[in-house]
Amino acid sequence: MIALEVKNLRKTFGNLVAVDDASFEVPEGSIFGLLGRNGAGKTTTIRMIMNIYLPESGEVIYKGIQSGPEFNSKVGYLPEERGLYKKMKVIDTLNFFAEVKGKTGRTVAKKAKEYLERFELADRANSKIEDLSKGNQQKVQFIATILHDPEILILDELFSGLDPINTNLLKEIILEMKEKGKVILFSTHIMDFAEKMCDHIAIIDKGKIKLNGSMRDIKKKYSQGNVSLNYEGDISFLSGHPLVEQISDYGNTTGIKLKNADESQDLLKLLVERGINVKRFDANDISLQEIFIDTVGKEKNNGGAL
Amino acid sequence: MINYRTIAVIKRELKEKLLSKGFIIMTIMLPLLMFGFIGLQTFLMTFDGGERQKIEIITESEELGKKLETELKDYEFIKDSSVVSSFITMDSGALTSYLEIRNDDLISESLSGIMFIPDSALVNKKIYYYSKAPKSIRMLDRFNGPINKVLVETYFSTRDIPPEELQFARMNVDITKFKISEEEGIKEEGFGNLVLAYLFTFLLYISLLMMGSMMMQSVIQEKTNRIVEVLLSSVTSRELLAGKIIGSTITGVLQMLIWLSPVIMLISTTWFALPEELTLDVTGGQILYLLINFLIGLATYLGLFGTIGSIFDSPQDAQSGMWPIMMLIIIPFFISMSMIENPSNPIAGISSMLPFASIIVMPAKMTLVDVPLWQFLVSIVVNLATLILIFPVAGKIYRVGLLWTGKKPKWSEVIKWIKYKY
Repeated sequence: MIALEVKNLRKTFGNLVAVDDASFEVPEGSIFGLLGRNGAGKTTTIRMIMNIYLPESGEVIYKGIQSGPEFNSKVGYLPEERGLYKKMKVIDTLNFFAEVKGKTGRTVAKKAKEYLERFELADRANSKIEDLSKGNQQKVQFIATILHDPEILILDELFSGLDPINTNLLKEIILEMKEKGKVILFSTHIMDFAEKMCDHIAIIDKGKIKLNGSMRDIKKKYSQGNVSLNYEGDISFLSGHPLVEQISDYGNTTGIKLKNADESQDLLKLLVERGINVKRFDANDISLQEIFIDTVGKEKNNGGAL
Repeated sequence: MINYRTIAVIKRELKEKLLSKGFIIMTIMLPLLMFGFIGLQTFLMTFDGGERQKIEIITESEELGKKLETELKDYEFIKDSSVVSSFITMDSGALTSYLEIRNDDLISESLSGIMFIPDSALVNKKIYYYSKAPKSIRMLDRFNGPINKVLVETYFSTRDIPPEELQFARMNVDITKFKISEEEGIKEEGFGNLVLAYLFTFLLYISLLMMGSMMMQSVIQEKTNRIVEVLLSSVTSRELLAGKIIGSTITGVLQMLIWLSPVIMLISTTWFALPEELTLDVTGGQILYLLINFLIGLATYLGLFGTIGSIFDSPQDAQSGMWPIMMLIIIPFFISMSMIENPSNPIAGISSMLPFASIIVMPAKMTLVDVPLWQFLVSIVVNLATLILIFPVAGKIYRVGLLWTGKKPKWSEVIKWIKYKY
């Protein structure tokens, strides 16, 4: 079932079309990744979902509700540009952000305490925000986002500026929320996270949605005849080889598009014969990174095609 | 617009402002500072530098000098020797060369001044003062009275005039001031209300400037600390602006009430007896009016200051944008001050009912002249209408401004924001 529906959103700033006819659907209970390079239109799309920007056309509907204050009260939103009142105490900050969402009282206080303990901040409840380290401020910000028990989490560039330990803690909590049946939408330009966490994605580029759907379907479609390869040695002999249609270097892996999807065994044989040290060979598989780059094209400074 | 979200913002504002050390200190310190400044000003004006001022009084006739010496003996500034005077008799012809001799003393200020009273003064009252600082109003004020008295007495002593008549001629005009008002008829007027006029003007002026710039800082801080987008995902920009205005307005009005509490106590109780001259002629209703009108006006100004804050990224940039609004506070302040000099000043009369100006001018006016009820009502209606007109426009600019980053916008762009669909 569809929880959040984004229909034909459009937004321009002067002559710049920031988002152009963007549509996608976020199913209930899913983790949805909005993927795009910096400046692709992710934040503008999310701001329109949150009713912070009014779209020039199009609409956002969550379970029959139009975007607006009522929808917002059900959302836990973590913007890319985030901050807290520096002079406020941690506990006051949490209470305030729950209160503007309409949640007060003992349940909130109890929850706040639980989360603070979980994030190892229990002893800092009465500290001022400005006295916390940056990492701890991020934690407080995240608690403030989820304290009112939102039905849907919208996280813009969630992992930017987080250390690995906090990243894992956040991942853990996001997966927990998913298990509780919450909808999670996050934007990122880091494909690794998206690959591991999302079950639905949309790829946005220059304001346009280039690709969207479930990760499984997309992968199925793109992985046909694709070999994802990690190796040591020189594979330059493959370019122009009759088996191969295209070779793409994605940094960590090399993607080899075969002319014929059945011939992956022949490729492996060829590589072994030529003395290439094959570390990983995934036939009919493709990484999200590969899909992403294929979809939006390579940035020039990434070296171009092999 | 007032809902749980707005209330949460109001509560946060109150907690931040009302319970802050800054608020408590300011509330207590401001009256002290005010009296301190008045005291300091008085002190500076009467300050002689602690040293004696020496002055030479030269008369053409010895008799005149003697009389003056006798007359001056009773004056406080001679008795406490803050001014030491010496008397010389000299012809006007010798004066020029004498001045040349004393020139160095006058330049080095070991001699403050030489006063020359020729005999002709008995005809035309013209006397001459030579000093490095001949415009010393204090010095001239001190000698003006006694010299005039001696001249008058000497002049009339040769004429056969009875002492009573001389006494009459010497007297100054003594004006007893009466205030005519509709309700209370004719009433003797002390200068208690003059003090009130100053007090109201200063308090309103300072409070508006202070609360306004605090509001602006707070908006800029929310913008630069990037809190604003988190906030906007929960409250609308209008709710946020309204909440901040209401929170600050409550703080400001409460502070004003605390500042005015001595006045309220003086007029509503008989616990403190003021000398008749200082009796405060102001009603509880007028104080209430002052607070209500201040409340409306403060809310309006806060909306403007908040909007200015939203346009700019840093307090430095905002300084320039703040000027037009500062003028809306400063000009009424000066109008109000000019009215204290001349209560029937027509500019003050009109501006007491104009938007913005009336907030500062009307309270001073009501202490000085009898203001009919309709004028109070007009000023309240006008201010309320201003608030209602300004809020939506301010809210529009505020919404766009909050998420505006980067280049400092031009005023023409800001005006376009009003039309934006944002």
